Amino acid sequence: MSDQDLVVSTVREILAGHEPTQLTPDRRWDAELWADLAEAGLTGVGLPEEAGGSGGELADAVAVVATLAAGAGAVPVAEQLLVAAPAVLAAGLELPPVDQPLSVSVAGAVRVEDGRLTGTATDVAWAGVVHWLAVVAAGPDGDVLALVDVSGLEATHAANLAGEPRGSYVLDGVPAQVGPLPADLRARYALARAVQLSAAAETVLAWTVQYAGERVQFGRPLAKFQGIQMQLAQMAGEVTAVTALVDAAVQRLDRGEPVELAAAAAKVRAGAAVDVVARQAHQVHGAIGFTQEHRLHHLTKRMWSWRDEAGNELTWARVLGAAVAGEDPWPVLTGLV
Amino acid sequence: MPSTLTLAPAPPSEAAEAVRLEVREFLAAELAAGSFTTHVDTWLSGVDPDFSRKLGERGWLGMTWPKEYGGHERTAMERYAVTEELLAAGAPVAAHWIADRQSGPNLLRYGTEAQRKDILPRIAAGECFFVIGMSEPDSGSDLASIRTRAVRNADGDWVVNGAKVWTSNAHHSHYAITLVRTAPLDTAHRHAGMSQLLVDLSTPGITINPIRILDGGHHFNEVVFDDVVIPGDMLLGEEGAGWHQVTAELAFERSGPERFLSTFPLVAEFARRASSPAELATLGRLSARLLALRQLSLRIAAALDRGELPDIPAALVKDVGTTFEADVVEAIREVVDVPASLDSPDPLGRALAEAQLHAPGYTLRGGTNEILRGIVARGLGLR
Repeated sequence: MSDQDLVVSTVREILAGHEPTQLTPDRRWDAELWADLAEAGLTGVGLPEEAGGSGGELADAVAVVATLAAGAGAVPVAEQLLVAAPAVLAAGLELPPVDQPLSVSVAGAVRVEDGRLTGTATDVAWAGVVHWLAVVAAGPDGDVLALVDVSGLEATHAANLAGEPRGSYVLDGVPAQVGPLPADLRARYALARAVQLSAAAETVLAWTVQYAGERVQFGRPLAKFQGIQMQLAQMAGEVTAVTALVDAAVQRLDRGEPVELAAAAAKVRAGAAVDVVARQAHQVHGAIGFTQEHRLHHLTKRMWSWRDEAGNELTWARVLGAAVAGEDPWPVLTGLV
Repeated sequence: MPSTLTLAPAPPSEAAEAVRLEVREFLAAELAAGSFTTHVDTWLSGVDPDFSRKLGERGWLGMTWPKEYGGHERTAMERYAVTEELLAAGAPVAAHWIADRQSGPNLLRYGTEAQRKDILPRIAAGECFFVIGMSEPDSGSDLASIRTRAVRNADGDWVVNGAKVWTSNAHHSHYAITLVRTAPLDTAHRHAGMSQLLVDLSTPGITINPIRILDGGHHFNEVVFDDVVIPGDMLLGEEGAGWHQVTAELAFERSGPERFLSTFPLVAEFARRASSPAELATLGRLSARLLALRQLSLRIAAALDRGELPDIPAALVKDVGTTFEADVVEAIREVVDVPASLDSPDPLGRALAEAQLHAPGYTLRGGTNEILRGIVARGLGLR
């Protein structure tokens, strides 16, 4: 068993004790799941032990994030392991204890002056739930990364389609640690969402294949109807394409190569697959999949939101297109992932 | 995801990147010298035996085959890089494409020593071209329904009667690997009783009639067999194992980058002028799809290097890939207003015209996307 297999099976065991639930303003995350993950050291995977992490490779952290995404775990692990904590370390700041959830904000208007933050951080994943926030803030000499303790601050109660908190913090002279902004922060955020989308899409396909095999209509399982088979095969094509590109972008990040365009491509491709995968999953599941009584919605609603977050297809397609446009696009493309 | 559909990521290959740069340099020099002009879908329409010979001289045909058969014992990853560069440049590769891609590997797997020694070195030199003898006037997707028959005569030779269609570039080629019935159809075992014959296209009794495709180009043919006598030793592989052999051949046929790069010259022409936000977004979306397909195709090349025959993933990649190469025309039309015409003064107009007129073929040739999705469905455990 590889390290990643071990990580995946450990996360799965923990997830088995925490059925996904519909998030509401009164239950905005799965604090018990977080506590179990933290106790097992899984909220520090891929982060160096000398910084307070659990050690391990990027691939291990990606495996944790993917497994939690597939299980609709309502915890800020993708943000912490793949985006905020690596950025905090890259900026030379002190990593908060990894059992205290840390998220990231790349939107809004926040200024930093004399180590204090002023302004509003918007679209904050897990706002009101996390203890710490890594914020992109405007300093006198350009953008910087600021790390701020938000545990005592009020957040607005906005949420995404799955109920995951996506509110704002008003920062009124809050003290922060400040360091240089890592150039790949936004790309990492996009890639983290792409990893989640890839894992969710793979699970939705598996659930849909399973359902089609169990549900009997006209005297035979749905899976035996050619029309259904075509839909499932098309879903499989999308899922396989997304997985391959996301894996390649992650490997590029792991090799320490520039990742912005690879992440852009991964986010665009993963986002573009959501419509086909979610639409056809719901079509095959029929009316029960349209209700909160069935598990399907936990993942399809997340997919509909995750494709919009950290930059949607339009935003990243423009970035990618601008890089590819020119007299000789082919060498750009082959050097990109 | 069932393991039948997934493939391990391809490890990076320095050798592949090295040969990629050599091919790029060669193509730039050839373009500068005016030895070819870029077109869409040149692996169907770009027949240029001189160009094929040049590739053979450089060791870029039969790349993965043993040296004793004229090959170069290089990896599938290296071959992938070479084929991808040639396609992206819209180079004229049609003459040798089928021979290098599937007929040669088919001969390597199933051919006799004499067949291999005789033919493979000539393919690798870019001097011997093949066509696919599978489809017939009444047998398209339902390949097991073929009616071309081969019967042994008193001398032990095969007498072939019937007709094959869509045989691309038969009028420029030397051999057709021809799927024939060597035993009558048994409706309980439809896949039994078929065999593959190595047919020299200059054999008396063979008539090659042109079939023009939408743009008027002559690539397709009907090849008619009228009491054609094929020497007994030109059976390829085992008598009665034709279906099994064809399935293996199709894995090679379906797995390559030509299944998503046929229209890349159009994408490149679009990239040269894309500047508005809408154009850049479209270019970015197309690029993301293409990059995902490259990763899938690279995984297949890596699987071939591991000695696997990934027929189900190949079907999946071809489905997704050909859908993409056909979608390119519509995606670009949504953001530019350039009429498609083969006579357009604008290179984008010409590329749109070529891509549009060839588009219906992308999702048909080598197995329709409906057939491919059926194979994927089997991989998902639905059949």
